Amino acid sequence: MANRAVIQEVGSTTSRLRQLLNAVVGRQELVILGVLALAALTLSLLSENFFQSTNLLNLARGVSWFAVAALGVSMVILIGGIDLSVGAVMALSGLVCALMLRAGLGLPVAIGAGLLTGTTVGLLNGLLVARFNLQPFIVTLGTMGVARGLALGLTNGAPIRDLPPSFRAIGQYDLPLGPFSLPVSLLIMLCLAGMVALLLERTVLGRYIYALARDEQALLLAGIPTGRIKLIVYALSGLLAGCSGLIMTAWLGVAAPTAADGYELDIIAAAVIGGTSLFGGEGSVPGVVIGTLLMLILRNGMVLLGLPAYWQIGAIGVMILTLVLVDHLRRSRLRGL
Amino acid sequence: MCRTPLLLLLLLVACTSAAVEPQRPRLTLAWVSKSLGNPVFDHGRDGAIQRARELSASGAYEIELVAAAPASADAVEQTRVLDDLIARRVDGIAVSCNDPIACAEPIDRAVAAGIPVMTWDSDAPESGRFTFLSIDNTAAGREAARLLADAIGGAGKVAIITGVPGGLNLEQRVAGFRAVIADYPAITVVAEVATDEDISKGVRGVEEVMQAHPDLRGWFFAGMWPLIADRGAMPQWEAATRAGQLKTVCFDTLPFQLELLREGYLTALIGQKYWGWGYDSIQILYDTIVHGRAVPTFIDTGIDIVTDKNVEAMIRAWETNDFQRPLPPP
Repeated sequence: MANRAVIQEVGSTTSRLRQLLNAVVGRQELVILGVLALAALTLSLLSENFFQSTNLLNLARGVSWFAVAALGVSMVILIGGIDLSVGAVMALSGLVCALMLRAGLGLPVAIGAGLLTGTTVGLLNGLLVARFNLQPFIVTLGTMGVARGLALGLTNGAPIRDLPPSFRAIGQYDLPLGPFSLPVSLLIMLCLAGMVALLLERTVLGRYIYALARDEQALLLAGIPTGRIKLIVYALSGLLAGCSGLIMTAWLGVAAPTAADGYELDIIAAAVIGGTSLFGGEGSVPGVVIGTLLMLILRNGMVLLGLPAYWQIGAIGVMILTLVLVDHLRRSRLRGL
Repeated sequence: MCRTPLLLLLLLVACTSAAVEPQRPRLTLAWVSKSLGNPVFDHGRDGAIQRARELSASGAYEIELVAAAPASADAVEQTRVLDDLIARRVDGIAVSCNDPIACAEPIDRAVAAGIPVMTWDSDAPESGRFTFLSIDNTAAGREAARLLADAIGGAGKVAIITGVPGGLNLEQRVAGFRAVIADYPAITVVAEVATDEDISKGVRGVEEVMQAHPDLRGWFFAGMWPLIADRGAMPQWEAATRAGQLKTVCFDTLPFQLELLREGYLTALIGQKYWGWGYDSIQILYDTIVHGRAVPTFIDTGIDIVTDKNVEAMIRAWETNDFQRPLPPP
């Protein structure tokens, strides 16, 4: 009798511990937030330069535009699609905006044209995927080529410099906030992340986006126009990629047709590290933002610590594999319970 | 798709061929660059056109110049361009190779068809090309090291920006730089950052190294990538430079770099002879074909060293498109 009671007692303690552990491990955001904290702690111990304000501001300015593009791509991944055109769209949008600025059109017109460019490519992606049922991988691979080719063709390959300071401020200016300063680009990123989070968590459209990859048939039977949802999601990805391209261009002060070449893969990796499942239906805005931050901090850390250039490429690859493996083990463990 | 290079070729032939004078024998020389639309190659093409015109005016031959290139820097497209030229039976080819291996086969096909081929700027050493015209990248890297060491008084931390890891000409520049720096016991190379020839990766790399080493005294940019970004993108690099603490030596002498040098952001530039890529190549082809003159397998173009002492002359050279006048000493 007594023995059994003790066993029960022990059993309930371990199960409570397990519950707590599962509550933490159950969310990839919390896992990578832990990894992020660990990485930041290690870096600040190894290099006194890591926690300096100049470095943090640098990181913030670098992470903003990257995260904005990742938000759009993660929505596409949520509906079970993929968007390979983001890097090229970033370059093309920035370029269109720069051309407008150089033509003497005002800031609002130029920014509007840049965003419209991104949205248009996104709509084209959505149209081909939703209406013609083409594979998103090959569709966005094609539009990637089209956008990159347009960017090269419009400029003859030469970068556009001498952009007005008012435009560069979007990527370079820090708002003074008492003793701290807040980069404008970080503010824009946080606003956009908030809006995407609201869309996904608080609207009917958001619920459909989460459900689409798992249960498209059920949605169709319920009379929900899934094609239109896909169109909207791809268009939003294009719009956010355009926005990201504008911030990047403003930060660099130059619009290069070869800019952001190959970034789509880094952006997809950041979304996946943040817990977005490539099968669709799983992922969150905080996860994507933290995933992006983690990727950039590790890259930043390797340079601060003086790791040789050749090894950095491999280290990033190992990191991506490790984090995705952790995500997978965590999921299968949850399913096993 | 396959026909595009031919179309471009015909278009360019139409643009560049000189007026027909039937009484003189004709010599068709082809000048092939890595891609269309690169200002540096446009510049070389202008040099080639000029030399072809001069030789036509003074020599026994009517020179027809064919300037051709793939639309983008693609090795396969470039192979098609070269095969089209072989089919046209041109008399000589000067080419800058996108890929040393992929380029070798069409070059050997041309040589087998009796067309002499030379390379410029980017070589295909395994091929049957008769010479390679280029700067000596190792020597240029050594020169960069000497300029930087002088500028920082022979002591302090320096760092290196390079492009795609493994690129042969960049590796040579960096190796030359490191070899000379090794002779200065008080100078240490604290970082070498690969940019993948990407502007934002270059900018971030520069700023991160500035962060890790606030006392950095010098930069060697083996390529201009971070500088393409405009003012404000690299605040720490700018501030340290304005404070007089930091000196930068960079490859290439494009107009925006000259502007940065004039404003005091750069200490010295190492320039390649873009104009000579065309002008000298045509001369070498002409000498080989017409006079049967033997040339060494490597021809060093030499380098332009630009500092604040001769930057005005280089700016004028770009404005007037006249690169034949020698620069004043740096």
